[in-house]
Amino acid sequence: MPSSLKARTSGTTELLYESFLSRWLVIAVGLVRAYLARGSYHGLYYSIEKPLKYFQTGALLEILHCAVGIVPSSVVLTGFQVMSRVFLTWAVTHSVREVQSEDSVLLFVVAWTVTEIIRYSFYTFSLLNHLPYLIKWARYTFFFVLYPMGVAGELLTIYAALPYVQKTGLYSITLPNNYNFSFDYHTFLILVMISYIPLFPQLYFHMIRQRKKVLGHVEEYSKVE
Amino acid sequence: MSRTIFFEVEILDSKTKEQLCFLDKVEPHSSVGDIKSLFHKSYPKWYPARQALRLDPKGKALRNDDLLQNLPVGTSATLYFRDLGPQLGWTMVFLAEYIGPLLIYLLFYFRVPYIYNHKYTLTSSSHHVVNLACACHSFHYIKRLFETIFVHRFSNGTMPLRATLRNCAYYWGFAAWLAYYINHPLYTPPSYGKTQVRYALIIFVLCEAGNFSVHWSLNSLKCEGAKCRRFPNPSKNPFTWLFFFVSCPNYTYEVGAWVGLSIMTQCVPVALFTFLGFIQMSIWAKGKHKTYTREFKDYPNFRMPILPFIL
Repeated sequence: MPSSLKARTSGTTELLYESFLSRWLVIAVGLVRAYLARGSYHGLYYSIEKPLKYFQTGALLEILHCAVGIVPSSVVLTGFQVMSRVFLTWAVTHSVREVQSEDSVLLFVVAWTVTEIIRYSFYTFSLLNHLPYLIKWARYTFFFVLYPMGVAGELLTIYAALPYVQKTGLYSITLPNNYNFSFDYHTFLILVMISYIPLFPQLYFHMIRQRKKVLGHVEEYSKVE
Repeated sequence: MSRTIFFEVEILDSKTKEQLCFLDKVEPHSSVGDIKSLFHKSYPKWYPARQALRLDPKGKALRNDDLLQNLPVGTSATLYFRDLGPQLGWTMVFLAEYIGPLLIYLLFYFRVPYIYNHKYTLTSSSHHVVNLACACHSFHYIKRLFETIFVHRFSNGTMPLRATLRNCAYYWGFAAWLAYYINHPLYTPPSYGKTQVRYALIIFVLCEAGNFSVHWSLNSLKCEGAKCRRFPNPSKNPFTWLFFFVSCPNYTYEVGAWVGLSIMTQCVPVALFTFLGFIQMSIWAKGKHKTYTREFKDYPNFRMPILPFIL
């Protein structure tokens, strides 16, 4: 990407990231307030439902950023992650009402919220060239817990949705019809769950490798000193 | 009697940089292909098609017809080797890719056990169009197999085994998916009945004939591997007149044949396969078009890659 374009867009990108960061903070604060108000963590999804939908869908811009080159992440990995989150938000949690009061929803919402707050802080401070080591360390360490937590929440939510999808035939097309096509959303969801088996370890080990690369150098320097 | 200066060639592994082979007394007019053959003698597992030799570990692979004396090396050359993995010749690749869909479709047509409800096992469909679709689909792949064996002349190139397996998975999987719906007991024939089927069949037959004509005409171009002395031109055969408008009429006709099949069966998976095929072939056609315009200064401006006037 030409450096002139980078310079011109980095100011806008910083603002964008700060706004994303603040929105996820809004979700976090919303969660905490609702928890304190209710005294329990059941049904917290409803308190942050709208912001979650808008911000997670807004994250589609992330793919564009990677494609244009503002962010050095891979388009494929980022695209995949954003798509899976949008899918969970709209095609599962929003579409299957009965699932919204499940605890597993809270599990992945919290995982996503914490991850995104750290990630956007990381990007914002990086662009400002003033990145505290703590943020860098957090970004490449917290995922050890947050990834499995998010995945567990997502899988449990999809699993909880299965009986309702089968009963109502949600998003499914059956034969016979004029276009000779059928789609079973229930089977599709099962296939999505199975796809986590090859895909999740790849993402996890990719982050572990990134961690070694990013944090590994600093340990060497401290040894020299 | 003149003294020939012999070359020394050292072959190192690209990743580990350890010396794999040292060849002395190599003739200067040897080609990279000759060196690969010599290397193969020391390492029988790595036949020449599997070898990538480079001047720089991260550089581009050298071509088989590059001559040693033309490389920027001096009399003592260091080449870096990378294993490309098991390879398949083009003929084998195409045979594998085409035999699958041909046979798999027939499994569904004859309603082999365990595919559909057991009460429909080994029955036949009551719709005339289902039989016609089977005939067309089978003809399409038999024609392709025939062309692979008797018509096409392939360069000595190969395709990696991994890529071939991936392509086969795509073709075979899609064939199974579309065959499942066309031969399903609950299949619904086209909305406009016999008229729709008739026109679709005409489109299909014309495009198959066109595709074959273009392949035949490309065959008579007298190319040596990938390098051709002349670009393809229309001949007396009216089907080749599409060359006036497009660089790759074989792809145009291929898309046309599948459009015919889609209309004939009125089946979404067939239409989807047509669409994806069109995207892939457009990419190939654009690449081919670029190669033609670059190689031949007198290449007609009027031609588009795959769709006349449009794309």
